[in-house]
Amino acid sequence: MKKIFSLIFATLLVFSLVPATLVSAASDDNELRVGMEAGYPPFNWTQKTQANGAVKIDGSNQYANGYDVQIAKKIAEKLDKKLVIVKTKWDGLLPALTSGKIDAIIAGMSPTAERKKEIDFSQNYYTSQLVVMVRKDGKYANATSINDFKGAKITGQQGVFHYDLIPQMIGATQEPAMSDFSAMRVALEAGTIDGYVGERPEGITAESKNSKFKMITFSEGNGFKTNPDDTQTAVGLRKDDKNLEKINEVLATMSQAEQTKIMDDMVGLQTHSDQEIGFWAQVGAIIKDNGGDFVRAAGMTLFISIIGTFIGTFIGLLIGVFRTAKKSANRALAILQTLVGWVINIYVEIFRGTPMIVQAMVIYYGSAQFLGLSMDKTLAALIIVSINTGAYMSEIVRGGIFAVDTGQFEAASALGMNHGQTMRKIVLPQVIRNILPATGNEFVINIKDTSVLNVISITELFFQGNTVAQQNYQYFQTFTIIAAIYFVLTFTVTRILRFVEKKLDSENYTTGTNQMQLPLKEATIELGGEK
Amino acid sequence: MSDIVLDIKNLKKSFGQNEVLKDIHMTVASGEVISIIGSSGSGKSTLLRSINLLEQPTSGEIIYKGENVLKKGYDLNKYRTHLGMVFQSFNLFNNLNVLENVIVAQTTVLKRQRAEAKKIALENLTAVGMDRFVNAKPNQLSGGQKQRVAIARALSMNPDVLLFDEPTSALDPEMVGEVLKTMKELAESGLTMIIVTHEMDFAREVSDRVIFMDKGVVAESGTPEEIFVTPKEERTKEFLTRFLS
Repeated sequence: MKKIFSLIFATLLVFSLVPATLVSAASDDNELRVGMEAGYPPFNWTQKTQANGAVKIDGSNQYANGYDVQIAKKIAEKLDKKLVIVKTKWDGLLPALTSGKIDAIIAGMSPTAERKKEIDFSQNYYTSQLVVMVRKDGKYANATSINDFKGAKITGQQGVFHYDLIPQMIGATQEPAMSDFSAMRVALEAGTIDGYVGERPEGITAESKNSKFKMITFSEGNGFKTNPDDTQTAVGLRKDDKNLEKINEVLATMSQAEQTKIMDDMVGLQTHSDQEIGFWAQVGAIIKDNGGDFVRAAGMTLFISIIGTFIGTFIGLLIGVFRTAKKSANRALAILQTLVGWVINIYVEIFRGTPMIVQAMVIYYGSAQFLGLSMDKTLAALIIVSINTGAYMSEIVRGGIFAVDTGQFEAASALGMNHGQTMRKIVLPQVIRNILPATGNEFVINIKDTSVLNVISITELFFQGNTVAQQNYQYFQTFTIIAAIYFVLTFTVTRILRFVEKKLDSENYTTGTNQMQLPLKEATIELGGEK
Repeated sequence: MSDIVLDIKNLKKSFGQNEVLKDIHMTVASGEVISIIGSSGSGKSTLLRSINLLEQPTSGEIIYKGENVLKKGYDLNKYRTHLGMVFQSFNLFNNLNVLENVIVAQTTVLKRQRAEAKKIALENLTAVGMDRFVNAKPNQLSGGQKQRVAIARALSMNPDVLLFDEPTSALDPEMVGEVLKTMKELAESGLTMIIVTHEMDFAREVSDRVIFMDKGVVAESGTPEEIFVTPKEERTKEFLTRFLS
């Protein structure tokens, strides 16, 4: 059903040239690791309990349920494997499969021709119907044909074929595509768009969750012309997966009626529209339900940014010391020094010159696909943030070293200290004081920028906010809470650093200029010669 | 004649096209106090900085204990520990207090035990009258106090020669006296010193020998009496009239 075309995927296409079979599968053989968004109801969603046959999401306290989960359970049973659900962003599903981080994609994905170049698909397990979601009180609530949307602002999900159908709606304006259904629902409710193209199951859910929405369905001949490839849904597998046959057997035993029944059950499970309560009451309810998860996610955000900033600063200091060292008199050493210098320059330029979100994709999925290295997500996140911060800090440290008076270097040299001793004993302690404000700044930036790590499914604050909002459909309320948590984190960190700076300064320059005005004798006593 | 500590031959230094030192010859005997005077730009500070290689000479020789220190592979850091340097702008280490300023090079470069280094530091701080400020940070001291700590720091390395690069030029007039007094005491103790200075009275009183530099060469050299009372060279006379009037 969905078609991927995003920029990030294009970047990763290059990796797909490596035959998937050469890549070592990361998972253990008794598990069936299934990737899904767990945020595309009724196909898949995230819930807090095991109720109604939900399955635990790998590495979290939450559970996944939905049509895809029920299908996955049947398949795992047939293969005699333990089902493991891996929550993965839509754009990350294909690379996760080809790199061996998951064994199958069961995520409401359509077997399009493009995808078939990369991976294999099972036979169809659900056929869907296209709809347009509009506001119930809007101009287009009574539309019956795709041509009834003259002047309407319509959009669809980025990288999904829905979006490419909009030109069929004569007279409608095609708005820029949006990243996911959550964003489109928010936009529709807010009135920035008049409708979005989606599919029936998602439409029913959205309608039942939010009484302001109306799903427009079309009778034969009044709807979109589509490719059967797009409206079918199949299980994605690595090329030449030997389980394909068995999976097809399972799917073949399910009649159309059985599919519809499971789907209806799943749509029915979605809780009904929220009672009308005020904004703050809703915020309160969200905090009450998800407070613990938010705190844990904030902890993850803090953890990654603290460690990342710390290691990054250390990398920056090392590079700073290296770069300011005099050229070695030894020829071989001097050449080595030049080479390492080039490597450092390349590192700094590349990591400062590319977005962290892209680095995350390349490092996490690339390491698995190219090097056969299955990296822990959190470890990958720490590495990404550290080396990214290191690139910035190396420049900041350079500035910090320049800010140290040349007299300090000369005095140390005149006393016979070598470069290493001068740096360690004299220069670096002053550099650290000099770069403290910039380091604090980098720390605050890291707290906010770790949100991009949601692309590799790190359960940090933004990811958690998105997960909650996808369940409760209260985007504004949920993200208001998330914004408040981010602010509290950054504000606290800023204050603490300011305090540390003050403390350092008071140690260095205790009584400051006042002291100079005291008569010499008194000053002597006050300055603590007696200690 | 007493032992020669430093023997400088054919020393030249250029900054790009600008030749600052033109063929300098100079010997420094043990226990000798030498003042270098001359107008700004005459090359006297560059000469001093070339002696401990803060400036790399373009050519020439500096013989220390029979070895040319400009020879390839000579251990420069070791050589520098034998030459103390006192700067015009003090250059105390801003991150360390007075005591640590005097200790740090002893423990890191000379590998002295901390207890020993501390004892030596306190002795020298006492000698310059700064022993009561051991816990103060450089920023809390006046210029004269800083310079006296800098002298104690240099002394603690037990140098063979102490180099002074205009040690009082950055001081307020009322602080010049305390630093000169300290230097005079050092001179009387028999330490070998080379002093670049504009304090003519001090140079005359303390020095064994005065060197007058002009345009990158040693224009005249002799006892204080010879230079200040009976200068032979016209340019020496000119300088002194200009300076003393």
